[in-house]
Amino acid sequence: MHSNQLSNDLAPNELPGLPPGAESVIALRGVAKWYGDVVAVSDLTFGIGAGVTALLGPNGAGKSTILNLVSGLIRPSTGRVQVLDRAVPGDTTVYRDLGLAGEQEQLYGSLTGREFVRLNAILQKTPNPDVATGRTIALVDMADAADRQLGGYSKGMRQRIKVAAALVHDPRVLLLDEPLNGTDPVQRASLIALIRRLGDEGKTVVVSSHVLSEVERFARNVLVIVNGKLAAAGDFRTIRERMDERDHIVRIRCDDPRRLAAALVVEPVTTSIRMDDGKLIAETSDVRQFGRLVPELARRERIRLFEMQPVDESLASVFSYLVGS
Amino acid sequence: MATLWRLLPVTSLTVRQFTGGRTARLALVLSLIPALFAAIYVARPWDVTANAFAIDLFRELIVPTLLPIVVLLPATAAFGNELEDGTLPYLLMKPVSRLRLVLGKYTAVLLVTVPALIAGLAVTTAIAAQGLEPGDLGRVLAAMAGAAAAAAALLGAVFLLVSLVIPRALLAGMIYIFAWESLLGRFLPGVEAISSREYALRVFDGILDDDFAVASNAALTMLVVAVVCLLLAVWRLRNIQVD
Repeated sequence: MHSNQLSNDLAPNELPGLPPGAESVIALRGVAKWYGDVVAVSDLTFGIGAGVTALLGPNGAGKSTILNLVSGLIRPSTGRVQVLDRAVPGDTTVYRDLGLAGEQEQLYGSLTGREFVRLNAILQKTPNPDVATGRTIALVDMADAADRQLGGYSKGMRQRIKVAAALVHDPRVLLLDEPLNGTDPVQRASLIALIRRLGDEGKTVVVSSHVLSEVERFARNVLVIVNGKLAAAGDFRTIRERMDERDHIVRIRCDDPRRLAAALVVEPVTTSIRMDDGKLIAETSDVRQFGRLVPELARRERIRLFEMQPVDESLASVFSYLVGS
Repeated sequence: MATLWRLLPVTSLTVRQFTGGRTARLALVLSLIPALFAAIYVARPWDVTANAFAIDLFRELIVPTLLPIVVLLPATAAFGNELEDGTLPYLLMKPVSRLRLVLGKYTAVLLVTVPALIAGLAVTTAIAAQGLEPGDLGRVLAAMAGAAAAAAALLGAVFLLVSLVIPRALLAGMIYIFAWESLLGRFLPGVEAISSREYALRVFDGILDDDFAVASNAALTMLVVAVVCLLLAVWRLRNIQVD
């Protein structure tokens, strides 16, 4: 109760997650959502301002629940959700300024991509639905497949047409739930470019993702969600640096592991080193410096390096570190 | 076509869902089943006039069983399929009143069921007219069409609401049709007063007997119940949570 009261008192520009000086477009205050005994998200108090913000977290962390709460599709069990100073769920006029490309797989199978986007334009009361439809379909590179039925679309095509449907009324706030899932590298690059452009235009774009390296490419501002709670918020690089500060485990394959181990063990950045099935498993306090050091040493000692790979880069371990701290 | 989508987007979408899938075809096929009975009757007419045959078919088969099923399928699919496929957010996240969404879906249900039912009745009467002593079958058809339209309007609203309130609406509707409308309604006098069959038959008899007070009273009762169901559906849609 006390923390709720506290979060209710926070001004829109004082909410966690906002860069200094930014105003919140989306604001959550003391939000929790549970289903029976299962808590989906809890203790959520944060703001999201203009530009691209990533909702980063492992699968099942509660990212989709947060997007559904912001969309007004579900009601918080406690707390308040506001979008553009309007309470959601509530007034349906907020949807003129809000678009969601959700996680649902199914679309209206008997419609073509163009009909689907156009339907969204009409329901949004867009002044010229045909023009808006054509423009948005071109934005997501779907002009060639737009007149095929949605039922025959691949996953990557469905993702892009969903983004088009969410964008067709040119909303100020755009929510994208794992939009890069199932896309090929070319589609991914073009979607990332689109997301960045929308952010640069001053729109508020929230993109959920469970892939750390992906988030880096489109968002500076990040909200890290773990177990339904906000684990970290702020600038991506700052969070990344905090991740880099901890000990990393690196696996190295080379033609003379014993000699490389002997060379590495005396280096200050090496915390520990051991052999495992002919490979070296090294723990380091500074993964970047270590990454430069190993090839240097290998060259000096004339050791052939085959592979060097961090073994604990999975989000789960990164998050457990963040939450632990 | 494009203008229709613009004027009635929810209705156009829903009709397309019905015609794109099996729902519309099934409604038409079921509506034509009585025509089969009529063909059997004409092939070997027993000692029944064409008029009496058509009326019996309507009272005993069409109103209590076939018509409710024809309405049940699209009415439960209209919102039910969206809930099942997770597409409802595409309608909910729009600056469109919930009343318009419900009315759009309801109109689509009527657009698919009423023409199918009337077509089935027309074919059935046309075939039956080849039987013994065909009387004023045109008049019988008009009464049947009026009663069927009223029953479809009532049941469409009821089943639309049911699909928003309980998860297995189709199954619940089937049990209701077979247990309540088809079976109990015939044997228990109390059930009669709250079955759609009873009111549809009052409309039918009223038109047939030129007793418009009876017909319009029954139709009015059906209309009131339909409106209440639609308003409850609007209320339900305002509070629905989808994820």
